[in-house]
Amino acid sequence: MSSDPDAGAPVAGAVDDDAPAAAPTSAAATGTLTNPRRVRHRARVRSLRGLLMASPPLLLIAAFTGFPIVLAIAYSLGHTGGLNSTTALIAQHQHVKTEWWGTLGAYREVLTNERFQRDLRVTLLVTVVSTTVVLALALIIALYLRLAGGWAAKALTVVSVVPMFIPVVIASWAVLMFYAPDGFLRSLFAQVGLEGPTFGYTVTAIIIAQVWCSLPFAVLMCASGVQAVPDALIDAARDSGAGLVRTTFSVILPMAFVPIVIAATFTAIGIIGSFTVPYFTGPTAPTMLGVDMANYFTAYNRPQQSIVMAVVVFVAASLIAVTYVWANFRSSKESGA
Amino acid sequence: MRTLVKVLISLFMFLLAVFIVGPLVWLASRAFAAEWRYPDLWPTGFTLRWWRVVVDDPMVVVALQNSATFASLTVLISAAICLPAAYAFSRYQFPGRRFMLVALFAVNAFPKMGLFVALASLFYALQLMQTVLGVLIVHVLGTVVFMTWIPAAAFSAVPRSLEEAARDAGAGPFRVFWSVTLPMALPAILVAAIMSFIASWDEAQGTYLVGAPDYMTMPTQMYSLVLNYPSQVSAVFSILLSVPSAGLLLLVRKQIMGGQLAEGFQIK
Repeated sequence: MSSDPDAGAPVAGAVDDDAPAAAPTSAAATGTLTNPRRVRHRARVRSLRGLLMASPPLLLIAAFTGFPIVLAIAYSLGHTGGLNSTTALIAQHQHVKTEWWGTLGAYREVLTNERFQRDLRVTLLVTVVSTTVVLALALIIALYLRLAGGWAAKALTVVSVVPMFIPVVIASWAVLMFYAPDGFLRSLFAQVGLEGPTFGYTVTAIIIAQVWCSLPFAVLMCASGVQAVPDALIDAARDSGAGLVRTTFSVILPMAFVPIVIAATFTAIGIIGSFTVPYFTGPTAPTMLGVDMANYFTAYNRPQQSIVMAVVVFVAASLIAVTYVWANFRSSKESGA
Repeated sequence: MRTLVKVLISLFMFLLAVFIVGPLVWLASRAFAAEWRYPDLWPTGFTLRWWRVVVDDPMVVVALQNSATFASLTVLISAAICLPAAYAFSRYQFPGRRFMLVALFAVNAFPKMGLFVALASLFYALQLMQTVLGVLIVHVLGTVVFMTWIPAAAFSAVPRSLEEAARDAGAGPFRVFWSVTLPMALPAILVAAIMSFIASWDEAQGTYLVGAPDYMTMPTQMYSLVLNYPSQVSAVFSILLSVPSAGLLLLVRKQIMGGQLAEGFQIK
């Protein structure tokens, strides 16, 4: 890096001075730019430097996400040797490979298990319903902020971001207490002599808590996306006779498409693999697969079954992730990057 | 029609406010309540003795120390690993750049509990279960996306013309980075650091699986606390646990509300 000849030259006041910025190419750079071989060499050095600087987090992820996942999948197929042998040593009800590639015994066992099927349905239901509600709320808030503005809209946004400040453990606990048999909702109903609903320890409570926790990120993403739609476009649509609804659906939402997809995918992925929220707020059964995985792994001592469930959730999540990547690439192409 | 819309909006705002703030107020007020009988909306009296109970418990002090240590170390390690990468993603073109950006996302794309279960199997083999290193790895993994993407977006947002201006005036690459690029990206780096600190401070599921029972942090203590103590004690504990996150986030609320977090989540 220090090979640059101008390193260490005096630069007093250079940053504040706007004048040199107007010149398209600097005098110092012209000398190197005219020599094509040197240009190519420098490009290669920069490319290599970029690769080296970018690799540490990638190596970390390869070692502690990619590798364990490959290992776990091998274990779920009955490969109990090597690095899996420590886990396999204490595991119960294990399926050991019968063919060279392994066995599907663990998958057959888990996938035909009624409890798993029921909890998978609950997991998907909670994910779909919570994500839909979160997205709807976030869009209403974002659109209101964009179209109406004013202190009320700002206050609404601030309130909806509050959960970001609260740890998930506390959030789950707070939601549970609020909707518990002796919680606020039922106390309020009791004031006027009514029997209020008890949501605590139900799937409804899981959905309520998921929405509560996921709202801030979705609101921030949607608000940032909707805010970026230029005034001129909205005005043009209104001028040519489009109503508020028409303007929203044909101009604003399509233009904010990418941030909305990002909000939806991150919300859905966060919910589908969650543990804390269903653990605190949900019933013992049925529950979400995140809780089942933890139980099978530690309490029941059946890591293989736990990993099979993880694989099923991975597959579901990667389908969601594909939409995210697709949306991002679409946006990059549009902006010409 | 106009009034109807106004009424509907007011109703929506009121319900949302109750939905969001209600549970927090309901929980927090318990920390000062002597006794609370259903269906009263008000406790029988107010007291501070639950705070005594919590503060005098050595378990809380240990958990607090553990949480603070893990979170600080996580931010430092994560910054050392990720910030150079963030700069590289923003400023260099190299083969596999796109692939690497998407691969970073993989950590977030995998459902947390599934990842921790897979990681725990590896940790058993490497004897990293119930170790500081094991917990740190779990925590750092959770911060990689924040520490890479948010600063990368900020580095990209620094106008090239300013850097060129400094270079024209004779500044070397280090000098340009140090006095132009870094100061302009610093607010976003601060946002990333705070988000990472909070991610580590709040992390419960992975820490519980890998660290319990030897290394209990504040959020993992909460799992057993709610079962074994009266609800007033967990209310006090909740306030203690939320104050650092809330305080730190308030510091950077302008940047977060202004879209720097949202900006960081779009691959460029």
